[in-house]
Amino acid sequence: MGAAVGTDSKGSVNVELNIVPFIDLMSCLTAFLLVTAVWVNIAQINIQPKGKSRDTSNVQEDTETVILSVLVQSDKIWVGLSRVNEFQDIPKLPSGEHDWDKFETTIKQHKTSAFFNDRADIEVAAESTVQSPVKYQDVIHAMDLAVKVGFVDVGLSDPAGLSARPQL
Amino acid sequence: MAVHVAGPRLYKSIHFHHLVRKSGSTSGSKSSNISLNLVPFVDMMTILVCFLLMVFSSSGQLLQAQKGLELPVALSHDTLQEAPVIIVTRNEITYQGQSIITTELALKDDSASFKIDLLYERLEAAARKIKEDVGLGRKYDKKLLESCDKARNNIRPEPGKVCPDGLAILQADESTDARLINKIVNTAKAAGFDNLLFAVKSK
Repeated sequence: MGAAVGTDSKGSVNVELNIVPFIDLMSCLTAFLLVTAVWVNIAQINIQPKGKSRDTSNVQEDTETVILSVLVQSDKIWVGLSRVNEFQDIPKLPSGEHDWDKFETTIKQHKTSAFFNDRADIEVAAESTVQSPVKYQDVIHAMDLAVKVGFVDVGLSDPAGLSARPQL
Repeated sequence: MAVHVAGPRLYKSIHFHHLVRKSGSTSGSKSSNISLNLVPFVDMMTILVCFLLMVFSSSGQLLQAQKGLELPVALSHDTLQEAPVIIVTRNEITYQGQSIITTELALKDDSASFKIDLLYERLEAAARKIKEDVGLGRKYDKKLLESCDKARNNIRPEPGKVCPDGLAILQADESTDARLINKIVNTAKAAGFDNLLFAVKSK
């Protein structure tokens, strides 16, 4: 960077830095960073497709292990345990939203139970029909809360492939 | 085109004498030297550059923004890694940027196989190619290949270092019908993609 020393009189000690190259550099850098900036933080939820699909009807079920299954429907969420066949339904709030707080509390209770305190697997399925569709956001929310609670091995299943299915 | 007499010019016709007088020039009131104060400008540029450097991320290029695609919101902060991308917008399903089928058609198709055939063909070919590449140990980072060995021994991989064999990204619009998601997941599973990363917007 250039500098001009003492322009007015012989004894002047004023030093004028030439900041033009600095501004040039900053402008280029700003333009580059603005173009390449990422304004939306994108993350991921890792899932394993599991359960029976219509293709794989001959899957041998593991009847020994109790599996926590979650079924998201348009009007409620079912949380069930296979083998034990214990189900709990969480209806939607009057506002029309799913009761996510209750859902989180429910799966948190299951996580602390003897069946799941050393396990991290859970099955999630969504039953969507033309008349009562379920949005992808609701499925993501259910899986996200499951991961938050500690069920990090999330398996996305077909509703018919859930280990614990409520009698609908 | 007619030639006009030049219009008013800055400083010649539009007088800025008041600025000149205030500019603090040393050679008298008629001097035309105006020194701009660049310090605030440099300050602003420095702050802007620092901010942009902080938010700079090289992983943002993995996913493409598309019309009719609003990602669902989640608490997760796990970083995405490179993998084939299936995009589901409000109108169509695309794989690696190429349109496969419209969402309407995919939902109407109620075939017994419960999968999207057009997507299955593409995914199966891709899964076979990835498996071959992983088997030969080419194209992929050594750490990712190590994670494949770990996966065989049932060791959980770190986020962002999942074995590329059987790994795909699903980038779907938040309002997508869950039936379509089920179909795509079944298709991916049948094609050999046993591990799916659902792209979400971090809260």
